[in-house]
Amino acid sequence: MHSTPFVTAAPPAAAPASLPSLVEMRDLTRIWGKGAAAQVGIADVSLDIGRGELVAVVGPSGSGKSTLGALVAGIDTPTSGSLVVDGTRIDRMKVDELAEWRGARVGIVFQDFHLLPTLSARENVELAIELGPSGAGRRLRKRAALAALERVGLDSHARKLPAQMSGGEQQRVGIARALVTQPALIVADEPTGALDQANGHVVFELLAAVARAGTTVVFITHDLALAAAADRVVSMIDGHVESVTSRRMVA
Amino acid sequence: MGAMLRQFRRAPGRIVASVFALALAVGAIGVLAVPRVSEGSLHDAVGANGLGDLIAPTTPLDERQLGAIAALPGVRVAEGTVVVAAELAGDDVQLVGLSPDRSTDLLTMTTGREAAADGEAVVAPGLGAIGDRIRVAGHDLTVVGTGETLWWSGEDAVYTTLGTVGGETTNRLVVIVDDDGEDALKALISDIRDVLARDGDTFTDFPVTLPDGTTPIDADIRQISTLIGMLGVMAGAVALILLASTTNTLITERTREVAVMRALGARRRPLRRRLRRIATGITAVSLLLGLPLGVLISNTIARMVLEKFVGITPDVAVDWRVVGGSAVAALIGARLVSARAARRVTNLPLAAALRDRDGVAFGRTALQRLLTRMPSGGLLSRLATRASLRRPSRTIAVVAQISAAVAVAFLVPTLATSVNAYNDAAYSVWQWETSTTARDPGLPFPAALTDGDASSETAVMVWGAIEDWEVEVFGLADGSRMIDPDMRAGRWFTGTGREAVVSAGFAERTGIAAGDTIDVELASSSVQYTVVGLVDDYSRTMYTDRATLAGDLGSPGMANTIWSTGAPAPDQSIAGVAVDVTTAAEIRAEGGAGRDAIVVIFGAIGAIVAGVAALAVMSSMVVSLFERRHELAALQALGARRRRLRSLLARELLPLGLAGLALGLPLGALGSRAIIGSFESSNAVDIGVVDATGAVPYIVGATLLALGALAALVVRSAARRPIAVTLRGAA
Repeated sequence: MHSTPFVTAAPPAAAPASLPSLVEMRDLTRIWGKGAAAQVGIADVSLDIGRGELVAVVGPSGSGKSTLGALVAGIDTPTSGSLVVDGTRIDRMKVDELAEWRGARVGIVFQDFHLLPTLSARENVELAIELGPSGAGRRLRKRAALAALERVGLDSHARKLPAQMSGGEQQRVGIARALVTQPALIVADEPTGALDQANGHVVFELLAAVARAGTTVVFITHDLALAAAADRVVSMIDGHVESVTSRRMVA
Repeated sequence: MGAMLRQFRRAPGRIVASVFALALAVGAIGVLAVPRVSEGSLHDAVGANGLGDLIAPTTPLDERQLGAIAALPGVRVAEGTVVVAAELAGDDVQLVGLSPDRSTDLLTMTTGREAAADGEAVVAPGLGAIGDRIRVAGHDLTVVGTGETLWWSGEDAVYTTLGTVGGETTNRLVVIVDDDGEDALKALISDIRDVLARDGDTFTDFPVTLPDGTTPIDADIRQISTLIGMLGVMAGAVALILLASTTNTLITERTREVAVMRALGARRRPLRRRLRRIATGITAVSLLLGLPLGVLISNTIARMVLEKFVGITPDVAVDWRVVGGSAVAALIGARLVSARAARRVTNLPLAAALRDRDGVAFGRTALQRLLTRMPSGGLLSRLATRASLRRPSRTIAVVAQISAAVAVAFLVPTLATSVNAYNDAAYSVWQWETSTTARDPGLPFPAALTDGDASSETAVMVWGAIEDWEVEVFGLADGSRMIDPDMRAGRWFTGTGREAVVSAGFAERTGIAAGDTIDVELASSSVQYTVVGLVDDYSRTMYTDRATLAGDLGSPGMANTIWSTGAPAPDQSIAGVAVDVTTAAEIRAEGGAGRDAIVVIFGAIGAIVAGVAALAVMSSMVVSLFERRHELAALQALGARRRRLRSLLARELLPLGLAGLALGLPLGALGSRAIIGSFESSNAVDIGVVDATGAVPYIVGATLLALGALAALVVRSAARRPIAVTLRGAA
């Protein structure tokens, strides 16, 4: 990672012509600290992601892929540049506006799952609806949570606590939690990083199915084999988009 | 030291906050030093001021009689002074004639010098300035200095030479003895009485003895100090909790760092040693701040006590036992807590620790699993409840801290309301509005002075002793209209058969019952009375027939007090006798001032205890939330607005606050009963407890507001950090 910002601007990598853009990044930069101690996460990234697209973001450690994912998911804010997601410019939102936006529009899947340890699988999934803007009643929330768990094959684990589940199961609960609010965008930051190969494939397949159903998925991974199955692969290095490859091109 | 400096460079703000928290904790322990600092200052003052072991007003004594007393076995010094009640510029003063070569009643000079020649005077601070010409009791005096003795400390007194005020005889005896034990002093009183009786002289008031180097207000100071000590213990306990939670934080924060070292092959034992060293090192640095802070706190409170109750300003004193004890307690406490925390941190599963998790799993026990299946409100409520149940020991500690703060917050106003009620009750038996008392000892008024005046009545009011307790002894007219006794047992006395009525609370504590014969030590002699009744008067008093008591005092048919149901008399003298005129309203106001002093002192200590407890709660919650920062960040990532997070924390804190209130209020009520009970037993009087129920809504409101503010503060601080950074666990 560079200690000074990049100044070169790259032309935006456009979404496939057939897909309208859901995410539009322009000159997106994230720098922590100031002066000599400044650390650059990403610099001047311009990229469009289409609706219903499954985009894999790959790159070596420190290349800025997780930073990119965090910005798109609205859990971090850029230092400069503009970021429009689903028609809403989120880079200038205040803390609470952004929280509300996340609850309504984004599902996030973490490498470390980040399930709440004191809530059961169903409660963890239900929490996403509770925190979102849906205003659904308790019964409806419960039904939706069970349906999401069923979708990831864990309806029988609804009452289990995270400590009683394997890593793969926990991650599937994490996906159910991301899906349950029916967001326009799912950002999965190395969701298979803490899993074995078999579980990694299961998780990827779940996300791919979500994308096929019309939800945009940004999938950050080190696993090039999994990435190759995405619609597009964004390769990052040193905070920059190095290349963007579509599956058709890979094929 | 190197490790500490590295820690400081890494997180200077947090280390400085920890140092201050620990310093405050150690400083709060300083409250424990107040009793010894107060008593030490007082005893230093006794030594430096030549306070006697026995002090008594007498009929006039000459040099020969003083020599005879000085010759009694065990008597080291017997000196006489002259005390005259007088007026200065319309105010009551004591004119004191002192021998220039005396070894008792030494003056502490504020300005100028002592009176060396007749006609010179030293005045109490505020009464005049050097060079002033004053006229007191018919004597023209020139002020040559300002100062005071310990005996008249805080009172308006003018000190001059013995020659100025007559010189041939004295009316106040001061004796210093070799053995100042209580029994020896008692025996001495009897011996001196015999010496005085040879010339027909006597004590004119009950002799004051100060056994074992005590002072006249020693008992009061000890009482106040004991009570302060009780609160000090509470402050110390809360301070130790703060110390524990701060130390715990210091180590918990290093969870990931420790995990990395373990992953690199570090053994757990040296890691634990290193963590313990960091905690004890930071505690040691805190002691540098905390110990002087403790000395400051103890001296400030001791000064408040001594200035309010004694009128002396003590020098700075240090109770080295408390200083040493605080240091040792802090270091041992830090060591023990850090050892436990270090064990926990180094025993965490490595994989969880490397992910910077605290490793406290939920759902491993059947009870926890059962809890997840019980319906318990909405999701946020469930989260809040389970967060508390996940770490029961911390939850208990937080509840204990809130309880301590609540207890103190309830205790202080309860003391105030109880003292208020006591003041009212103690004077409710009296029906007079004005009390006119002869200022000089003895019984100067004829008892018949008020005969025929329906609104006035003479009485005898002196000090005596029953069962070694100093008691007020009242001689009342037969069928007195000035008292409305509330009898608990027996009946009111009659003028025949040496009958007496005593305070019920006092009787209860000394085993006196109606029908008993009691020995009453008076200034003149020891006499016997038969107790015929017990009265609820919230004091330590004996009531008997005026004529009988005057006879016992060697002045039959005389009195020293005039009670009146009317307005105060404008004259400051009656039949040529200097008098003090006091109204019931003034006495109530004086009681109110005493209550205010108690409230100020206990309020100050209470504020320290409550402040330390609040810091401890905050510290515990900060640790808890630091450990759960990933959970909070995950909630934010899922769309929780700050209001929801505040609501979550409020739901978590609310039951703890309610539990703290539920425990703290009874604890405060018990504490106030213990304090007042201690007052009652050490004074042998009824005081009674009136709970400050009116304060409860305020305490509840303040507790809930404080917890709400804490929740808001924590959320505000958590929201400052980008969620992504927290979730990645970056330092």
